[in-house]
Amino acid sequence: MKENILIIGGGAAGMEAATQLQKMGLTPIIVEKSENLGGHIAQWDRLFPAFHPAKDVVDQMLSQVKDIKTYLNTEVADIQKDNDGFHAVLSNNEKIDAKAVILATGFDIFKAERKQEYGYGIYNNVMTSVELEKFFRTGKDERINNPKKIGFVHCVGARDVKVCNTYCSKVCCTTALKQACEIKEVFPDAEVYTFYMDLRMFGPGYEDLYLKTQKDFDVKCVRGRVCEVSENMDGKLVIKAEDTLFGKPLKMTLDVLILMCAMEKNKSIDTIQQKLGIADNSDGFMQNKDMYLGMNGTAQDGVFVAGACTAPKSLPDTIGEARSVATQVFNYINNK
Amino acid sequence: MNSQIFHPFVLPFVLGMAFVLTYCFVGLFKVILQLPKDDRRQFLRSLVTPKTAWANIRDLFGDCLFHVKIWKRNPLLGYMHSAIAFGWFMIIVIGHVMLFTLKPLEGVEVEGFARTFTNFYYPIFFKYFAEETPVFAFLMDFFLLMIISGILIAVAKKIHSKIVGVKRVTKFGFADNMIRFALWTIFPFRLIAEKTNIMAFWWLYSFDLLIFMFMLPFTRYMHIPTEALFILMRHAGLNAREPRKGYALAQLYSCPSCGLCIDACPMSVNDKMSGNTSAYFMKKLRNKDSEEAKRIAETCLMCGKCVMICPVSIESCDIKFSQRAAVPYEIHSDHSYLDVISTEAERSGEISSTKPKTLYFAGCMTQLTPKIMRAMQQIMESAGEEYDFLDKDGGICCGRPMLLSGKVAEAQAMIAKNTELIKKSGATKLVLSCPICYKVFKDEYHLEGVEIQHHTQYINELVKNGKLKVKKADVNYVYHDPCELGRAYGVYDEPREAIENVGNLLKAKSEKELSICCGGSLGSFNLTQKERDEITSNSVADLMFNNPDEIVTACPLCLKTFARKSPVPVKDIAELFVVHQA
Repeated sequence: MKENILIIGGGAAGMEAATQLQKMGLTPIIVEKSENLGGHIAQWDRLFPAFHPAKDVVDQMLSQVKDIKTYLNTEVADIQKDNDGFHAVLSNNEKIDAKAVILATGFDIFKAERKQEYGYGIYNNVMTSVELEKFFRTGKDERINNPKKIGFVHCVGARDVKVCNTYCSKVCCTTALKQACEIKEVFPDAEVYTFYMDLRMFGPGYEDLYLKTQKDFDVKCVRGRVCEVSENMDGKLVIKAEDTLFGKPLKMTLDVLILMCAMEKNKSIDTIQQKLGIADNSDGFMQNKDMYLGMNGTAQDGVFVAGACTAPKSLPDTIGEARSVATQVFNYINNK
Repeated sequence: MNSQIFHPFVLPFVLGMAFVLTYCFVGLFKVILQLPKDDRRQFLRSLVTPKTAWANIRDLFGDCLFHVKIWKRNPLLGYMHSAIAFGWFMIIVIGHVMLFTLKPLEGVEVEGFARTFTNFYYPIFFKYFAEETPVFAFLMDFFLLMIISGILIAVAKKIHSKIVGVKRVTKFGFADNMIRFALWTIFPFRLIAEKTNIMAFWWLYSFDLLIFMFMLPFTRYMHIPTEALFILMRHAGLNAREPRKGYALAQLYSCPSCGLCIDACPMSVNDKMSGNTSAYFMKKLRNKDSEEAKRIAETCLMCGKCVMICPVSIESCDIKFSQRAAVPYEIHSDHSYLDVISTEAERSGEISSTKPKTLYFAGCMTQLTPKIMRAMQQIMESAGEEYDFLDKDGGICCGRPMLLSGKVAEAQAMIAKNTELIKKSGATKLVLSCPICYKVFKDEYHLEGVEIQHHTQYINELVKNGKLKVKKADVNYVYHDPCELGRAYGVYDEPREAIENVGNLLKAKSEKELSICCGGSLGSFNLTQKERDEITSNSVADLMFNNPDEIVTACPLCLKTFARKSPVPVKDIAELFVVHQA
């Protein structure tokens, strides 16, 4: 039984699903639009809650998919469904026939420029969590110049009706605390503040990380949103926020401000998604069949979803979904 | 001709007429008595002031009879309305002229009260009682047919409103539908009665008049007598102070529920939201449905398009403000911080009152869009202006949000402090990059000796007098008129003139006074984000009509709102003049 399964997206979800499907005796084919496999996680330095190097996980995944047929720098240009299954045309004009399709297209990072009041792209020393992670990986960023005072803003582009994203992006709370500890490791003398609405420490070991952040790293967590950022004469950032526990407005001068940008649906797949007849849910992500037993299914028979294309998800969530989607696809092929 | 002076079929008409006249006179006195003392004096004085008296006469004819404003917008609708109103007016006038020139009652023994009584119904049923001359007969038939032609258009509009270019019409209840049916049948009945002299039609004609006049006070047709009073009050310069009293009451009864504001309203993107339009607000408030009136008053975006388009010139936004002010909200704000705020110049003690100085007030919304603030700073630097910020380090709100929610005293506290700061600065010009601020500074502040400019006007002036050097690029722009700048102050030309110096200006589908609200307006308290998004998408589509490369706004709130939905970059006008500097 050598049935082709087309997997769109070569991030954590796509790679893990491919690995499992191959073990089940099917033929997964990965189509990845960028030049590398690994997706967002390959851009990450260490993972919460235990500061585990992301590279370890990514390398393991890569070694497992090395025999799987993979197209890099390639997108799906067109897709049709008939009684034989799916017929896709790739951007390199190659044609692929597959019995099932897995959408593992993941997420995009919220464009911080859209939250203009935080000054990203306007003031030099405002950066995103993704850029900070790159700094941890490479040790280089001209904005980080022995800072004395550093701030993190949670929920940038999440839980915010003003940018039309009302959902929680799930991983940014824990990521912020992880990054706060890490920057404190690099600059032990710096004061580090995080500005949060709620801290959603939902996973195993996450709450411990929160306590550790405060006890061992002396990070100050302030409950309240930053409302406005401006730049003073010295190029430092002046932020205004409200400390809702004290019930008082506060003003603070910072050297660097990190914006914890939310996940949004990866829209580069929208035309293919529409062709397959899959709608978006109210958060703008892809709509799966249901939240429970049908979480990997879609409105289109033979099209499956895994990972952050349906909602913001952590890496463990994504791996779990990738494994479950493989089972679903296996059953689908066998029961046909 | 029937040689008699009375027939019982006139009684329904007489009864109806007596009722409606009594009602109108009582109402007239009620409205005038409800006016605050000063307003009443102002109103009575305006009646004898030659200038307002002339405007009164002009508009009484122009608006009530000829419906000039509807003609301008939609000639077919204009004809429909004036055919009915003017035609009816003319047959009443001609009826009276005939009574007094043909003297049909000469030689008949009627004196005193009976004589007066006949005058009351004779012109209405003239042809039953007396002979017309051919000229009068022609005139009467002509105007009667004119009315009927208007009614035919009205019937067509009822069946399919798009025939007359109207998408959505007001939805009516039983009473309004019934009186409309009565109105439509009055004139055909009269025509048949006059031509055939069948008694039944004279009775039907008279009964129709009774129904019409008896129902008049309880339906939208009350606008016919009330509009005259409203025109006089409007020319007297009154303001609506309470939602259901005095001037506001006169306006409520003057609204004909024509529904022209429904298609104009930015909320009419779907059926549900079109129920939030002014036509319904006026109806609900008039019918004392206070829950709904309160809800609509708080939902309105206050963009002012309905006021602009209204053929009766009803100031519905003002009535909504008064409705908002009438609701006691449980907010107690603390303004003690006002005492300790000072400008930077004040703190450093460098106040120069000798040199002309420009004061820039960014306001809360521009503080949240730092790109605009930065661009303004760069423009003022390049132009070599001597300027200062009024609120660089966090200033005081202009007061408009408080005014929008009807909190006048709170707003006045902020206005007083800002006035003090501006006066102390010694500036001669105040520049604002937010139309919301611009409106309040223009309307509510008393800043003698300080010129108030919106940054579109300021930038245009800097380019015109050569202080700011720019070069034209091959970029296609479309400009969105912010409600508070355009409809409120007619600032349409300066921003366009300015943009043409740096790029090509394309037209939007709806422009200038017809510009559509961005959907982000502070005016509304309770529109959901989804509803606002629908309004925004519609407005963006309107701007994208000619496929521009970029959308240019002149309001930080419009900028933020459009940026969420626009397929092309959205920029504030100030940003253009940084990019295209020579």
